[in-house]
Amino acid sequence: MDESRLRHAFLEEAEELSQKLGESLMALESDRTSAHLVNEVFRLTHSLKSESALMGFAALSELAHRMEDVLGLARNGSLSIEKPVIDSLFAGADLIAEMMAAIAKGESGASFATGEVLRGLSAFGGKDPGGTPTSGAVAQMQRGRAGTPADAADLVFDAPLTLGEFEKLQLAEARDRGEALLKITVSVDEAETMKFPRAYLVFSNLEAVSNVVKVVPAMEGEPVEDALYGRTTLLLTSSNEDEVLRTASGVDQIAHVMIERCQFDAFLASGADRAGETGIAGGGQSDIEAASAPGTGEAASAGQDEQGRRAGAVEKTTIRVDTRKLNDLWSLIAELVLHKSQIARLSEDIGHGKDVHSVREELVESFDSLDKISSGMQQAMMDTRMIPISVIFSKFPRLVRDLSRKLGKPVELVLAGEDTEIDRSVVEALSDPLTHIIRNSLDHGIEFPEERVRRGKSEKGRVSVTARRQGGNIVIELEDDGRGMDVETIRRKALDMGMNEAETFTDGQLLDLVFLPGFSTKDVVTDLSGRGVGMDVVATRVRSELKGDVMLRTENNRGTRVTLFLPLTLTIVNALLIRGESHLYALPLTDVDSTAKLVSAEIRGEEGRESALWMDEEIPVFSLGALFGNGRPKTDEYFAAVLRHGDRKAYLVVDELIEEREVVIKPVDDLLNSQKMFSGVSVLENGKLVFILDTSFLRREHF
Amino acid sequence: MGASILIADDLSFMRMIQKEILTERGYTVAGEAADGLEAVEKFKTLRPDLVLLDITMPNMNGLEAMRKIFTIDPGAKVIMCSALGQQNLIVEAIKAGVKDFIVKPFKPERILSAIEKALRA
Repeated sequence: MDESRLRHAFLEEAEELSQKLGESLMALESDRTSAHLVNEVFRLTHSLKSESALMGFAALSELAHRMEDVLGLARNGSLSIEKPVIDSLFAGADLIAEMMAAIAKGESGASFATGEVLRGLSAFGGKDPGGTPTSGAVAQMQRGRAGTPADAADLVFDAPLTLGEFEKLQLAEARDRGEALLKITVSVDEAETMKFPRAYLVFSNLEAVSNVVKVVPAMEGEPVEDALYGRTTLLLTSSNEDEVLRTASGVDQIAHVMIERCQFDAFLASGADRAGETGIAGGGQSDIEAASAPGTGEAASAGQDEQGRRAGAVEKTTIRVDTRKLNDLWSLIAELVLHKSQIARLSEDIGHGKDVHSVREELVESFDSLDKISSGMQQAMMDTRMIPISVIFSKFPRLVRDLSRKLGKPVELVLAGEDTEIDRSVVEALSDPLTHIIRNSLDHGIEFPEERVRRGKSEKGRVSVTARRQGGNIVIELEDDGRGMDVETIRRKALDMGMNEAETFTDGQLLDLVFLPGFSTKDVVTDLSGRGVGMDVVATRVRSELKGDVMLRTENNRGTRVTLFLPLTLTIVNALLIRGESHLYALPLTDVDSTAKLVSAEIRGEEGRESALWMDEEIPVFSLGALFGNGRPKTDEYFAAVLRHGDRKAYLVVDELIEEREVVIKPVDDLLNSQKMFSGVSVLENGKLVFILDTSFLRREHF
Repeated sequence: MGASILIADDLSFMRMIQKEILTERGYTVAGEAADGLEAVEKFKTLRPDLVLLDITMPNMNGLEAMRKIFTIDPGAKVIMCSALGQQNLIVEAIKAGVKDFIVKPFKPERILSAIEKALRA
């Protein structure tokens, strides 16, 4: 990113932070004991400090840093917010606003006299501008700098519970079911030497009695630093608050459990990423000091350690890789070095006038080897991204056992293919949907023992989860031998909802309806007497985020099978290269059914709502030109890619169909993608950029 | 009459300490096992209310023994004992269904409170 754009992005965000800082300070002035407001102001000054430091605005960063120091002390309770404190914070905030205005005009902000304001702040225990500690409280803070565990744990508390689409849909459904939304903060006893397993135990127990939507720090995938789990926040929905509280506080070595009842709307509103703080309903708090750990207070140290902070944001910057995989890569690199010196020698040979023909032969050989090595390295590097799916599967035995005991339905769980490797970036996104499907199986699919016996089945239900690799896909099947779904009931429901075409739908088409948003709500599913609560949620996650597909097969009284198709990796994709509007684009092959030639005369309908026959089906026609606001060029014949999504298809008219090839996906800058039309960008050998079209955008708009 | 507990640890000294802690609190030590295989066998015959299972044991390690025990009784109450650094193994055990875990070296109160909570659950 070039300097001016970076500066622009910085200004935009920093100005907002600065404005919020003023607002929050005002709120703090009228409610000086609010821990939430202190946290908020702390967070804002911290963000301002980090961002301005990154941009090299030292004076601004220094000022924000001092304010943050003071707030750090207020946060751990060693400084109470009296009027003089508020006044100096205001002075700091005002100065920050002035400096921002100067920076916006192209100055550096260094010309501002900050000394007086800094001295004012240092009077409350922040460091003086010289950097020496001025009070006992600061000495304590200095220890915090060394990075005590409590320090790090304290920071996670501020980590916002940012929800993705999947989580939001889960919340919407829970709200429709009439459940309560609870935010639970669990503090692990400081004496516990293994905080992650302890927090995991709480999470695992809660999963059996409620629907855990989000955990910070994350539980699945690669764990972050152990100390950060000293304080773990869970967002969950439940119909039994007491049970949740009992379960969370029933775990040993837990010092403190705090439950806040939150409002769904605060989390569901778009952009409400800090809803955790605003969504708390008044009076809905319960606070429990676990009996097993008397006297374990709140972690009391101001976190100033930069590294601790970065970890506090719960970003995973390190990964664990099987050493065998690294060894493979290493031996390839050794070969690469060998061939490099061989080629250097060959070029010298040419210089010394050696026979060109013999050199040429050796050169061809070397090139062949390099070709093999480079594809080997690509494979080896890919392998380092892969981890066995057992990291997800291994939690199912407990989940199934706990649920089966709770529901009074004996169930046998069969797992297979746990060694199947998946891209580690998929793990986190996949865990929730799978858990959801299994929970559905037990809740709605598997019958009670008496009913099963009546239906001529064994008393014990059976749920199987299988993973396998199939070509470029990972296929995961979740199957139960429960009551299945009655497709005729789905048809009736669809007709009731005014979907007249459902009259002639095939079984497959009817089952696909279960994935439609809003179709599989509670009342429908109860009628269906099968499963499917939230299947739309699962489908959204799998199709949009994981670029895969999901399929449902069911047989009345025999059971249901959900099949997930996932790409091996999200970083390399097989794509169809196309040209449209004089640019290159790529379409992921998973979204392309076929290619076709379209005769202009066969296109019917007015512009914008055109359609044409494909096989014997009328499907929509749209063109890349239309997407970018231009019309379709007028010719007699067009090339088109037939896009598919489940049973739905559409023609995408292009200027040229180029080739099928692998492309490496890189994230695309938001500035270029304000309409979310692209899922990424790739660079070709000749340096040309190819945007990868996000077909979910096309679907949203066109079919 | 206190609940009956099976102790599995390859170090006899460790078993001795645990036994002392437990009996002092009024629990019955149903039996002792020096490896995973023995732990599974004794679990089958003695059917204790709870098992204290060390992770690192010869013949059959604690995790394997835990899985066998859960196939015998899915509702078995198992507490894992581990050394520092076995974090991943502990998480694996939790996923499989152990009620709690204890990190060595442990204090007597810690073992007792873990057992109490596990029995109550």
